Amino acid sequence: MKRRDFLKILAATPGVAAFSCSDQEDAERIAAQRQATSDADLTWTKAPCRYCGTGCGVEVGAKDGRVMAVRGDEASPVNRGLLCVKGYHLPAFLYGEDRLLYPQLRDGDGWKRISWDEALDLVAAKYQETLDQHGPEAVAIYGSGQWTVFDGYAASKWFRGGMRSNNVEPNARLCMASAVTGFMTQFQSDEPMGCYEDFEVGDDFIMWGNNMAEMHPVLFSRILETKRNKPGTRIIDLATRRTPTSDYADMYVEFTPGSDLALANGIMHLLLRSGKVDRSFVAENVVFKRGIEDLDQIGYGCYGENAERYTFKDKPRDSSFAELEAFLADYTPAKVSEISGVPEGQIRALADIYGDSGRGTVSLWCMGVNQHTRGTWMNNLITDLHLLTGKISRPGANPFSLTGQPSACGTVREVGTLAHRLPADMVVMKEAHRAKAEEIWGLPAGTIPPKPGYHTMDMFRAFMRGEVKTMWVQTTNPWVTIPNLHRIDRKPGDGRFVVVSDIYPTPTTEIADLILPAAAWVEREGVFGNTERRTQHWHKAVEPPGEAKEDAWQIVEVAKRMGMEHLFPWPEDDWHEPMYEEYRSFTLGLGKDVASYAQLEQTRGMLWPVVDGKETRYRYAAGHDPYVKKAEGVHFYKAKGYGEKAAVWLRPYHPPAEVPDDEYPYWLCTGRILEHWHTGSMTRRVAQLHQAEPGAYVEINRADASELGVKSGDRVRVVSRRGNVELPARVDGRGKPPRGSVFVPFFDEGRLINRVTLDAMDNISKEPDYKKCAVRIERA
Amino acid sequence: MRGTYRTGLIPLLLLCLACSGPPEGTVDVPGREGAVKTTAVKRAERRAYDGAPPVIAHENFQLDCTECHDLEGMEIDDVGFAPPSPHEKTMGMSATARCRQCHVFSATDDVFIANTFAGLRQDLRKGQRLNPLAPPTLPHKAFMRENCTACHSGPAAREEIRTDHPERPRCRQCHVPVTTRETFVRGAT
Repeated sequence: MKRRDFLKILAATPGVAAFSCSDQEDAERIAAQRQATSDADLTWTKAPCRYCGTGCGVEVGAKDGRVMAVRGDEASPVNRGLLCVKGYHLPAFLYGEDRLLYPQLRDGDGWKRISWDEALDLVAAKYQETLDQHGPEAVAIYGSGQWTVFDGYAASKWFRGGMRSNNVEPNARLCMASAVTGFMTQFQSDEPMGCYEDFEVGDDFIMWGNNMAEMHPVLFSRILETKRNKPGTRIIDLATRRTPTSDYADMYVEFTPGSDLALANGIMHLLLRSGKVDRSFVAENVVFKRGIEDLDQIGYGCYGENAERYTFKDKPRDSSFAELEAFLADYTPAKVSEISGVPEGQIRALADIYGDSGRGTVSLWCMGVNQHTRGTWMNNLITDLHLLTGKISRPGANPFSLTGQPSACGTVREVGTLAHRLPADMVVMKEAHRAKAEEIWGLPAGTIPPKPGYHTMDMFRAFMRGEVKTMWVQTTNPWVTIPNLHRIDRKPGDGRFVVVSDIYPTPTTEIADLILPAAAWVEREGVFGNTERRTQHWHKAVEPPGEAKEDAWQIVEVAKRMGMEHLFPWPEDDWHEPMYEEYRSFTLGLGKDVASYAQLEQTRGMLWPVVDGKETRYRYAAGHDPYVKKAEGVHFYKAKGYGEKAAVWLRPYHPPAEVPDDEYPYWLCTGRILEHWHTGSMTRRVAQLHQAEPGAYVEINRADASELGVKSGDRVRVVSRRGNVELPARVDGRGKPPRGSVFVPFFDEGRLINRVTLDAMDNISKEPDYKKCAVRIERA
Repeated sequence: MRGTYRTGLIPLLLLCLACSGPPEGTVDVPGREGAVKTTAVKRAERRAYDGAPPVIAHENFQLDCTECHDLEGMEIDDVGFAPPSPHEKTMGMSATARCRQCHVFSATDDVFIANTFAGLRQDLRKGQRLNPLAPPTLPHKAFMRENCTACHSGPAAREEIRTDHPERPRCRQCHVPVTTRETFVRGAT
C-alpha cells in the first residue's frame, strides 16, 4: 500500500484525529506491512485441528500460498468456535525455519540432497532386497494416529496386500491400544457408543486419571458450561496428582498409582451390596466373562524370558453374576481403602454416584487408564460399572474414552493400522475377514498373512536385534516416545535401513538413513476421525514448501516402483476420493458405515454409522442407531460371539510392575501439558507456545522438595534403574503431585524422560505404562 | 479501584514524560493527561495474528484472571489498566471459565527454532457504511468479542476504534456483522 493510500484511509476514518502522532506512525507501519489485509481478503477453508483427538473445527485463512490465520469454526458441532491455545496458534507450526524441504540421504556424518526419484527408487530397492533375502517379517512401517485415513489405508494395503506383511503399526499402540482391546473384549466392536452431546446431557462426569482441562480443553469447556447452566452437575476427579482439572472438581479422589483396579472393583462391590445393579438391564443385555488372572502367568511384558518378545494371550471363559458376587466379596471398602489410599467415604460416594439411577453418569478416561500395565482391565472395569447400572448407550450416560491424536480413531482403529487389524473391526487372524479384504482389494485368496505382525514394542526390539531390516517411520517420533529409550539406541551403519518422513528434524530423523520431507496438515488433502466417531475432511489450502509431499503419495510411489501399482489403480491427479470410497466399502452394512466423500466435503464431519445419509449419535441405542431394531432399550448387535450382548469382565487388582522402594523412593508419572503436543516437534516451533513452556521440568511435592532441600528452578536429576535426566524442579506448579510422587512432561527432546521410564506393558493391548515407575531425585 | 479510569503508572509516567515522553511500547492517551496505553505495534507483538489470543502481558499474580479482567476492567497500582474481557457470553463453551487454556504467559523471549510465519495483521480500515452518517458494519466477527466496550471504550480502547457514544449500551442494534458478501437475489435458495 502506498503511503498516500493509507493516509486516504486514515483520512476517511472518523476519529482519526484522535491518533497520537507516534501511534499513528505505528498503525501506518502495521498497515503497510500487510497492505491492510482483512479477514475478507483471505481464502477460508474448513479443516479439523492438527493436534489432539477432540477434532475441533477450524477455519483456515490463506493468501498468496501462506496460511495467515485460523478461526475456531462456529459451525463445527465439536467446538462451536472455541479453540485452545495450540489450536489458535496452528498456522505458525507450518513455518519453522528448519522445515524439511528435500529428500536427504545420509552421507557419512552428514546428509546429501537427492531427488525424489532417487529417494523413492532407493526405498523400493531396500524393501525389495529385504523381502527377497529375509522375507516379509523383516520389513516394517511405523506410523501414527496422525496418519490421515489416506496414509493409513495406503500403508495397510501396501503392506498386507502387496508385501504380504502385517508389520504395520502406529504409535497409537503407545496411546490408546488398551481402549481398543477394552471395547473389543466387551462389545466385539471398537469405539465409544456416546458422543460429545453427552457433555451437555450428563449430570456427573467422572474423570479416571484424566487431566481433561489440559489435554482436551475444549471438551472440558463444554462440561464447565454445563456445570454453569445446570446446577448440580458434578465433576469427580480420580487422580494420582492434582492438575488444573482438579481445580474444577466437586470431589477430588487421590489414589495410589495402579490401585484404580481395586477402586473400580470396590465401587462394584458396593453396587452389588446395595442392590443398585440394574438387574433387568443386566439380564437382557449382559454376559459375564473371565480371563487369566494369575499374576505369574501374566507378568508385565518385558522381564526375564519375555524381555525380547512378549506374547501373552488371554483365555476367556464364561462367568456369571454369581461368580461376580463371589469375586467382588474381597473388595470391601476397608480393603480397597488400604490398597488405594482412598478414604472409605469417598469409595461409598463414588458407588452412590454410579448407583443413582436418576442421574446420567459419564466416565471419561485417556492415558491414565490406557498407559497402564493392566490397561485393558481398567477399560473393562470402567465399562463394567456402566453395564451393571444400565448407564450406557443413553444420552448423558456412557463410558467415554478420549483419544490423544487427531485420527487415532479414524485411521488406527477404523482403517486398521494396528498389526492385527483390518478395516471396520476386522482382524487378520480370521479367514473370513482376510477373504473380504482380498476381495475388495482384488487380490488372490491367501495373500494376506494370518499371523499378526510385530506390535510396537516388539517391532523396535526386532529392529534392534536385526530381524527387522528395513523400517519406514512416518508422522511420529519414536526415538523420543518409546519407553526405556536405551533399548533402541541406534547408530546408522548397522546394516539396517531406516526411512523417516517428517516435516522437521527430530531425534528420529537424526538416526535415519534417509529423510523424506512431508507435507503437513492443510498442505495436503486429508480425512481424520475424532474421538466421537466423527469423520472429517479437508481440502488442501496451500502448497507444501520445497519438495515436500504427502505421506500417502510417498507410499503409493514406492509401491508402484515395487510392481504393486495394481493396489493403487487411480488417476495420479485424482486418487483421494476413489481411495476413500474403496475404504468406505469395507464399512458399509456393518454398523461402521462412514459417510460418503461428498457428504464429508459438505459437512463439518459425520458420526458413523451413517445410514441413509444420517449420522448416529448413540450407538446400540433404540431410536438412534439404525442397526437396532428394538423399539426401546439397547442392542449390542456387534457382539455376535456373546449372543449380541455386552460382556462384563471380572478383572482383579494387580500391583504395578515397579513400585518405589528405599533406593528409588518416588513414583514417576509422565505426560503432556496444555501448550505442547506430544514430542513438541510442531508446538515448540511456535514462539508463543515455546515461550510459555520452553522446556521440561519435574514437579515435586512441596514437602518432598523441602526434605530434599530443593526449590523451584533448582536442577535435579531424576534417576531410575534404566537411566537419568537432569531437569529444573518445579514446586506448586500447574500440577501438584502428592508426597512421594513426581511428574515430568515428555515434550522436550533435549531432556528425554523416556530414558528413565519403564517398558512394562499391558498384557492384552501391549501398550506400555508411562505412568508408573520408581525413581529417586538427586540434586544436580 | 474498580470502575475508575485513572490509569496506573501515573507517578512513574509523569516522571518519564518530564524528560523523554512515555515509556517504550506505550503512547499517551489523548485527553487524559498522564495516562498511557500500549502502541499498535505492541498490541500486534502480543498476538501471532489478528484474531489470535494475546499472550499475557504481565507476570503471574496467582489470581483468577477475571478478578481484574472483568466486564469493566480496573486499574491496578503499579501495573496499569487491566482491560475488560471481551468474552461476555460465548454460549455453550464457557469461554470465560478457563482463560489460560488460550492465554499463556511468556517465560522467555527465546525461540526454539526461528519461524517465518507472517500472520494476518490488524485491519485498520473501518467497517463499511451506507453513507457518512450511517453506522459502520462490524469489520470482524463478533464471536468471542461480545463485550464491545472492552475494546471500543474505556482507557484500554485504541483511539482509532474508540466509540464516541459509550452511553448507548446496545451496540448491535445499529452495528451488525457482515456474514456474507453476496447481495439479495429474489428466488435464490
